[in-house]
Amino acid sequence: MTDTLPEQPAQPADGLAAVVALRRLADRLEDTGVERALADGWTWEQIAEALGVTRQAVHKKHAKRLAESGLTRTRRR
Amino acid sequence: MFNRFGRETRTVVHGALEQAAALGSPTIEAEHLLLALAADPRSAGGRLLRAEGLDEQRVLAALERENELSLAAGGVAIGDFELPPRPPAPRRSPRFATSAKRVLERAVKAATARGDRRITSVHVLIGLLRAEVGTVPRALAGVEVDRIALATRAERLLG
Repeated sequence: MTDTLPEQPAQPADGLAAVVALRRLADRLEDTGVERALADGWTWEQIAEALGVTRQAVHKKHAKRLAESGLTRTRRR
Repeated sequence: MFNRFGRETRTVVHGALEQAAALGSPTIEAEHLLLALAADPRSAGGRLLRAEGLDEQRVLAALERENELSLAAGGVAIGDFELPPRPPAPRRSPRFATSAKRVLERAVKAATARGDRRITSVHVLIGLLRAEVGTVPRALAGVEVDRIALATRAERLLG
């Protein structure tokens, strides 16, 4: 089954740069995903569970940004 | 450290914050300092970049290319994802990340080694160019900028 694994980048520099770029991409996907979930009526609790983090963590990371964007009100319950 | 920064350098640091915010980055990274320098032709460091053909647009393009290539090294194509191109509204205030702090530390170190009291935009540029690995040197290599030669020119400018 090893032939189904993605090939390792030849240089350590490429492999490490890939990690950095993938983290940047994951951050962007998280921002977009949270926005879409909220627009679809998900609660912070549901979003937190889907991301595998606490509600406090997801709220702290996104609530202020989204309130500034006018996408949500900062409401804590 | 910050009290040795001249007004020009403070403008660059503030510019990096604005670049990070405009790109929706939660952190200020080394590349945002590079973008801020390239976007500021009034600074001596910015003029050195311009002389190299590196204005804000060119640096942005070089960073995007680096991002694509690095994602590809991880087996991912950016086109596979449906992402909004730019944040729709002001983001959270970005905080300084390690990569940007290291650039400023190297700028201070370069100034101290030369006996320069003030940290200018040229010292910041030297701090950026002395990074051997990471996003900035990879992006510069991608547009065939010789960062060693550019750093030498920057040092010569300082006298």
